[in-house]
Amino acid sequence: MGELFLEARNISKAYEGVQALDNVGLSLGKGSIHCLVGENGSGKSTLIKIIGGVVTSDAGEIVIDGGHFHHLSAIESIREGIQIIYQDLSLFPNLTVAENISLNQMVERRTQVVDWKEIRAIAERALVELGEEIDLNILVEDLSVARKQVVAIGRALTQNAKLIIMDEPTSAITREEVDHLFEVIHRLKAKGIGTLFVSHKLNEVFEIAETVTVLRDGRKVGDYDASDLTNDKLTFLMTGETIEYHPYTVDSQVVSEPPVLEVRNLTRKDEYTDVSFSVRRGEILGITGLIGSGRTEVALSVCGLNQPHSGEILVESEPVTIGSPRKANQLGISYLPEDRLTQGLFQHQSIGDNTVIAILRRLLSKLGLIDWTEKTRVQDHWVNELAIKTPSAEVSASSLSGGNQQRVVLAKWLATEPKVFFLDGPTIGIDIGSKSNIHEIIRELARKGMAIVMISDEIEEVRNNCNRILIMRKGRIAGEIEDPTSVDDAEIFRQISGKNGSEVPRT
Amino acid sequence: MNRLKKLLGHNETYLGAVIVVFALIITIVNPAFIKLDNLFGLMKSSSGTAILAIGFLLVLLTGDVDVSAPAIAISAQYIAVNTLIAIDSNSLLLAFVIAIVVGLVYGAINAFFITTFKLPALIVTLGTANLFHGGLLEFVGTKAVNTGQLPDAFKVFGHASIFDLTRADGSSYGLSIFIAVVAVLLLVTWLILRFTLMGRGIYAIGGDAESARRAGFNIKRIQYFIYMYVGLLAGIMGILHISLIRYGNPNYIVDTELLRVIAAVVLGGAVITGGKGTLVGTILGVTMITILEKNLVLIGLSSYWQQFFVGLIIVVGVALTHIQATLRSHHKVVVIKSQ
Repeated sequence: MGELFLEARNISKAYEGVQALDNVGLSLGKGSIHCLVGENGSGKSTLIKIIGGVVTSDAGEIVIDGGHFHHLSAIESIREGIQIIYQDLSLFPNLTVAENISLNQMVERRTQVVDWKEIRAIAERALVELGEEIDLNILVEDLSVARKQVVAIGRALTQNAKLIIMDEPTSAITREEVDHLFEVIHRLKAKGIGTLFVSHKLNEVFEIAETVTVLRDGRKVGDYDASDLTNDKLTFLMTGETIEYHPYTVDSQVVSEPPVLEVRNLTRKDEYTDVSFSVRRGEILGITGLIGSGRTEVALSVCGLNQPHSGEILVESEPVTIGSPRKANQLGISYLPEDRLTQGLFQHQSIGDNTVIAILRRLLSKLGLIDWTEKTRVQDHWVNELAIKTPSAEVSASSLSGGNQQRVVLAKWLATEPKVFFLDGPTIGIDIGSKSNIHEIIRELARKGMAIVMISDEIEEVRNNCNRILIMRKGRIAGEIEDPTSVDDAEIFRQISGKNGSEVPRT
Repeated sequence: MNRLKKLLGHNETYLGAVIVVFALIITIVNPAFIKLDNLFGLMKSSSGTAILAIGFLLVLLTGDVDVSAPAIAISAQYIAVNTLIAIDSNSLLLAFVIAIVVGLVYGAINAFFITTFKLPALIVTLGTANLFHGGLLEFVGTKAVNTGQLPDAFKVFGHASIFDLTRADGSSYGLSIFIAVVAVLLLVTWLILRFTLMGRGIYAIGGDAESARRAGFNIKRIQYFIYMYVGLLAGIMGILHISLIRYGNPNYIVDTELLRVIAAVVLGGAVITGGKGTLVGTILGVTMITILEKNLVLIGLSSYWQQFFVGLIIVVGVALTHIQATLRSHHKVVVIKSQ
């Protein structure tokens, strides 16, 4: 590991009696690229906040560059060169790149008068150090997420960062942008600046990490060489359980039936071209591709949310036009959105209200008023059916964990009794443990005769759960895999990226 | 070329163009409009609105709304004038000092509730506006101050001009000293917004309050500054207002100024959700509203249209900035997808 930069020793922290961290240690070398993983609630964010001085630990100490801190404050942490880049990046969309990079330093220096030449100079210096070029006069709101990340890293450099902590940096950027981010991180490493990634899933970060520290239930499981870890091993370390997948198969009888949904030559300018596929009862069809490959756009079109420019959609062999989500619903097509928090769930409404929101019309009595007995029956049915962990369906949805929230969103659409169910990123942001439960629910639905279309950029997820996979690249269907058990993740990745194996992720 | 492109990217350019066109149309209907004495008169009568608009912009930049400024202005004015009458003073300076102190104190009260209980400024100031005005009527009085009672210092101030010009018939007219007051306040506010960390903090809060906190800005201090600054501006506006009309009524300003100020600031391109807006835009907005209000009659519309137009401007203005923002984000989606 080389010379140590930071060492957290015997850190413990309890919140209202719950032990968030129990005697945890973490050692980071100078300029090392380290990854901290664990499921939600494993204590990784608490540990980061203690290192950042935002939260004070109950016991233990932090040693930075030989200096000992029992109660590290936020300002001390910054002065020691620790910079946290949160997932939201903490930028100002309405200000220019130059100001975004320089402002924190100005605040810290307690400058009262703003010298605009200096603001530009500081920003320029930071970008040169990063080896990046961005127009300093552009407003940050006009940048892509990846460029915003560069701005946030640039800002960290102005604070003399020696360690940059990044929370889930690869979750919202494309594959190419991830590669670019990694270049930047290697450049930082060359300057002796270390990076600590925080993640709750197995992702690209493992390509670049040297050491991985795993936390589970507030305890440290151990430090591992990234090259020694496999997906299965890491899953086991994070959850303490071995999760086994049996491939999903459909019997030949189902396959011979006519498709429930058929899409022919669907095209929408600038989004996707000439997309054709069909799905039968009992099938789980996977669609995978990079962000921007058109996978979500196609699904939105079939679900009435994104009008195609040409092409045909057939439901049970009848040509249909789907102009609105309501029409899609009437035809028996439902869509579980990618971003459940903003598109799929009414956080402050009860679980029950969320469950019946799409079928209110069906709950009306003869007087045109909602039949509360029926509503209670329906919501209780789904809470039981999907085993949503809650004392009652009247509890607000915001009180649930990510996995249970996802079940509520599932329940909402299942209540519409769809024939075809599009699931876009059904397990994004969900712990590995809950993930397999959600997968089991999906398989069970398919076994009962529903046609499922699962869209995901997690190759493993589609390979394990689908009986057929479509691969999308640059708006077209680039390939179809009839038997997912016959290929490995690397092969699928090659098809997704159109590259020849040189940059296959180690999964 | 680049410069032109930059100019075309600003809302202010378009608003300026609309004002010029509008002024031309009015001049065609009534050539007296473009005469200097008329323009000077318009500037003088709109200076109060301009001062309140500066304050409103500042609060709006942080993503909040302060509706109590008119109530503070009338309170400051009425307390100052009545104090002067009571102690038989004719000092304009004292009037300004009293009005400004009242403004600062009332502003601090707003800031106290907003920062201590983390409440939206709109709700707090809706309450305090009535508190301040109701308190004024109950504890200070309801009687009007007529021109005869008004200390001469106000009348002198109301008539003072920076320079005078002579009309063809020998009578003279001038550019009111009010314009100098507005100019100084604009300059000071501009310097604060552009060149102090406090000013950049105001924009930062409007961009993302949580990020501003993380960056180390003292949000509480900035909020105290803003609401007290609004109080200060309102106090000054109160004195200008009574000096202009030479009559004090504790029910003035509260009912008339608020919507006009909101319309002016929104018309000036400030975004209702915060973070974006300029002083230039605000002043152009005030100009547009003033011309509109004073000249609707000239182009054959009844004065009731005033209210109608102010309302229309607010609705259309907010809708336009929102549509712009939506277009922007759509554009971005396309950019990302085409990569």
